[in-house]
Amino acid sequence: MTRLSHWFLASAATAALMAGTAAQAQAPQQDTSRFVMVTHGVPSDPFWSVVKNGAEAAADLVGAELEYRAPSTFDMARMQQLVQAAVASRPDGLILSFTDENALGSVVQNAVDNDIPVITINSGGDAARKYGARLHVGQSEYEAGKQAAERMQELGVKKGVCVNHEQGNQGLDQRCDGFVDGFNGNAEQLATTYDPTNIRNAIVAYLNEHNDVRGVLTLGALSAEPMIQAMREQGATDMFTLGTFDLSPGILKALDAGDLDFAIDQQQYMQGYLPVIFLDQFVKNGLLPAGDVATGPGFVTRENASQVIKLSSQGIR
Amino acid sequence: MSSTETKQSVAPSATDRDERIQRVSFWKRALNRPELGALAGAVLVIAFFIVSASGTGMFTPAGIVNFLEVAAQLGIIATAAALLMIGGEFDLSIGSMIGLAGILIAIPAVEYGWPLWAAILLAFACAGLVGWINGNLVNKTGLPSFIVTLGFLFILRGLAIGVSRLLTGRTQIGGIQEHIPGDWFASLFSGEVATGLFSWMAANGWIATNFAGNPVVSGIPVSIVWWFGLTAVATWVLLCTPYGNWIFASGGDANAARNSGVPVHRVKISLFMFTAFSATIFACIQVMDTGSADTIRGLLKELEAIIAVVIGGALLTGGYGSAIGAALGALIFGMVQMGIFYTGVNTDWFQVFLGVMLLVAVLFNNYMRKKAMEAR
Amino acid sequence: MTTQTPMIEMRSVSKHFGSVIALSNISMKVYSGEVMCLLGDNGAGKSTLIKTLSGVHQPTHGDMLLDGKPARFKSPAYALDAGIATVFQDLAMVPLMSITRNFFMGREPTIGWGPLKRIDWKYADRIAKEEMARIGIDVRDPSQPVGTLSGGERQCVAIARAVYFGAKVLILDEPTSALGVKQASVVLRYIARARADGLAVIFITHNVHHAYPVADAFTLLSRGGSLGSFRKEEISREEVLNMMAGGAELENLDAELAEFQRNDRERKADGAPAPGHSESVAAAGHADAPAGERLASDR
Ligand SMILES: Nc1ncnc2c1ncn2[C@@H]1O[C@H](COP(=O)(O)OP(=O)(O)O)[C@@H](O)[C@H]1O
Ligand SMILES: [Mg+2]
Repeated sequence: MTRLSHWFLASAATAALMAGTAAQAQAPQQDTSRFVMVTHGVPSDPFWSVVKNGAEAAADLVGAELEYRAPSTFDMARMQQLVQAAVASRPDGLILSFTDENALGSVVQNAVDNDIPVITINSGGDAARKYGARLHVGQSEYEAGKQAAERMQELGVKKGVCVNHEQGNQGLDQRCDGFVDGFNGNAEQLATTYDPTNIRNAIVAYLNEHNDVRGVLTLGALSAEPMIQAMREQGATDMFTLGTFDLSPGILKALDAGDLDFAIDQQQYMQGYLPVIFLDQFVKNGLLPAGDVATGPGFVTRENASQVIKLSSQGIR
Repeated sequence: MSSTETKQSVAPSATDRDERIQRVSFWKRALNRPELGALAGAVLVIAFFIVSASGTGMFTPAGIVNFLEVAAQLGIIATAAALLMIGGEFDLSIGSMIGLAGILIAIPAVEYGWPLWAAILLAFACAGLVGWINGNLVNKTGLPSFIVTLGFLFILRGLAIGVSRLLTGRTQIGGIQEHIPGDWFASLFSGEVATGLFSWMAANGWIATNFAGNPVVSGIPVSIVWWFGLTAVATWVLLCTPYGNWIFASGGDANAARNSGVPVHRVKISLFMFTAFSATIFACIQVMDTGSADTIRGLLKELEAIIAVVIGGALLTGGYGSAIGAALGALIFGMVQMGIFYTGVNTDWFQVFLGVMLLVAVLFNNYMRKKAMEAR
Repeated sequence: MTTQTPMIEMRSVSKHFGSVIALSNISMKVYSGEVMCLLGDNGAGKSTLIKTLSGVHQPTHGDMLLDGKPARFKSPAYALDAGIATVFQDLAMVPLMSITRNFFMGREPTIGWGPLKRIDWKYADRIAKEEMARIGIDVRDPSQPVGTLSGGERQCVAIARAVYFGAKVLILDEPTSALGVKQASVVLRYIARARADGLAVIFITHNVHHAYPVADAFTLLSRGGSLGSFRKEEISREEVLNMMAGGAELENLDAELAEFQRNDRERKADGAPAPGHSESVAAAGHADAPAGERLASDR
């Protein structure tokens, strides 16, 4: 062999060695799991920012990569596209809120067929399992609405109203349905828009016309705060039994002040946090809880409000 | 031609005109105002509710304040949208600007301890900038403002969410109410006026009590004052000032206006700034009122404002319309939105009801205007 | 007259629209107390020239002088401020706005002070009515939208407005195209009066009856270039007619019409008249002016 070919061989070997080292250095990165979370929560919804916080905290903890996706308006078609895109990106796990069986069933099936483990959160459960979803983390909306009605009746309310600021959203509709059924029909749905002034004045107008209604349930912070405000303005907080879904700083303060009687918390932080932990365990060790995880309903009242306030200001509750 | 022929051709036409002068009475001219159809529409809607919601609280002082407040908030942005539409442009970013302005007020005040007046000024400054950019983009590119401001519809909403999530991790910021007392600037946007008058009326038993046993109306919400004030100023500007003439001219035919010496670009920039300011006024009032800001505030308000302006008799193509018309449009909108709760209609039908009533109002308005044109 | 400084002067002015050269190297002087008539075919660049003078366009090359001083108008507002009023070919009227609002558009008379400064509508309505009456239009209602006026009435509003606001220079781009005989003669009288008042007038028309009596000088444009300026003394009415849009073609038309007439007479002699057709030919045949001039005046 000539010296030239020696030199050539040597340099080729060096190159191969370097390439090998580079590959080794990259290896841990390739091990990082990538999970995609798709929810129907519009980005401005305070509820979903808590879910997202939970998911991000868990991803940080286990060293996974998390992508959060949500349509900018409540739109099932858009949601379906987002899930399809997520499946196409071949993540190590898919977390989604299964709001609509018709729109999302086949997409979940597709994910499962591609060996992507799917966990549903918030809404879904039994419906999603048909398509091969592994697990559900959330609460039954209907059951939660029903429990709210029962709690109000315990507090002496004969007739109630359920303020629905987003009619057509299955989860919200189920809460109201549960509430109305819980009252054995002695309750009504009041449909409003998103606008806080609109919500507040609608509640006032409705109550002025329905003298016998003494229980008001709102379905989120968006409508709870205008309701609380209306009652405070009229000095009528004691006259009514007021309940809401979800927590926000305003809701917690009202609970603490005794203006609001209860808030139903589904501890949505866990709906973001747990699925990421579960999926991480599943990917690393093949472990997964055997049954669904109920994160709610949990009632927050004046008694435990102050403790929750701190967590809420941190975006955990 | 000979001079005799000229005289002959003029003489009959002169007598013609004399006859015509007499036919143009004050009322015929009033019928030609753009807001007249809207007034007719409003009367129709009021009549509808007087019949269908009779015996309810809709037309008690409390009920009136209740729907006026909804109308007022819409009316504030509708006034600005009306001037802009008369000026030949649209602003689809109004709703998103409301959301962003609220966040810009709440975050500095609540999270960073700014005095409220400074936070409000910051919001107004940002709004001015947004309006200025909108106006300049429309002027420089010649693109339809529909497209340019549609971009800002998304950008501003996204900014509101992004900034709020980045700085606070939340999309809703509460706890503003405790900052209001003692802040004279904030008090311009909060509370009620003429409270003394109303407690005096309640003391005399002239005002009924509400479901909670309180006097139903404790004062006039500040939003209503802003609404009336802005409508009056806008009407004055449109009808009585050179700037108002420039707005009509810019919207009627921008090229003709420019060639006649109207500073069309400056007019349009100032109108875009005014819509952004009006969105900020809306946001101020709602933030002070609810004590919280939320990135979702103002959703679809741009559409409602445009609807109110069109119900008010303005032309979508520009150059024609009135601020009083927009106020009447907002009134119709607010009345219909709140009125359903008095009619006993199941609220599942809310949007159908809203749509049908608006359509009826517009059709009636259109019919009246046609009649008026024929009468002319 | 030629020793004084021109009221308005263009020095080698060119105007390009992208690759289109609408004006190239135009030089022109208009003195106060003088009417300059711009002649040229459609698309010759007449409107572009006067739009450059009135601030709608900025010249690509060259200079403009107003009363001997260099002038650059960033927009028509600047030209108006400098005393140059223009009747544009498209009239620059807003159809939805009232006569008064159009009349004073961009130059509204105000009373009051500070935030209470407002348009003096009484005064504005009165002036608009008066000025319209002077041009021979009896406005029954100055708040009537311009869109409801006839084309000629609309043109009269634009002319009355320019005459009212023109302080130094009055520019009229085909102002008589939609006017009846009476109003057209009023416009010509206006032009004559403006000249007498010492204004510089630039006048574009295709009608030789309108151009020749009032003009002091003619400038002929063709395909964006100037074919030169002529004093009235140097040029006859017929020459002006020939310089106007397609003068030569009109001569041919005259010949052709004469041919029709002859054929028609022959047909009549044959006892086979063409119904309906004969009337119009007869009218053409018996009119006292040559067909060419008549057609020109019909534009
Ligand atoms: N804004 C413009 N952009 C492009 N071309 C133009 C513009 N304005 C005029 N032109 C062109 O310049 C030429 C002269 O037009 P114009 O001055 O209107 O002619 P006229 O002598 O009939 O008034 C025409 O060919 C026209 O197409
Ligand atoms: Mg022309």
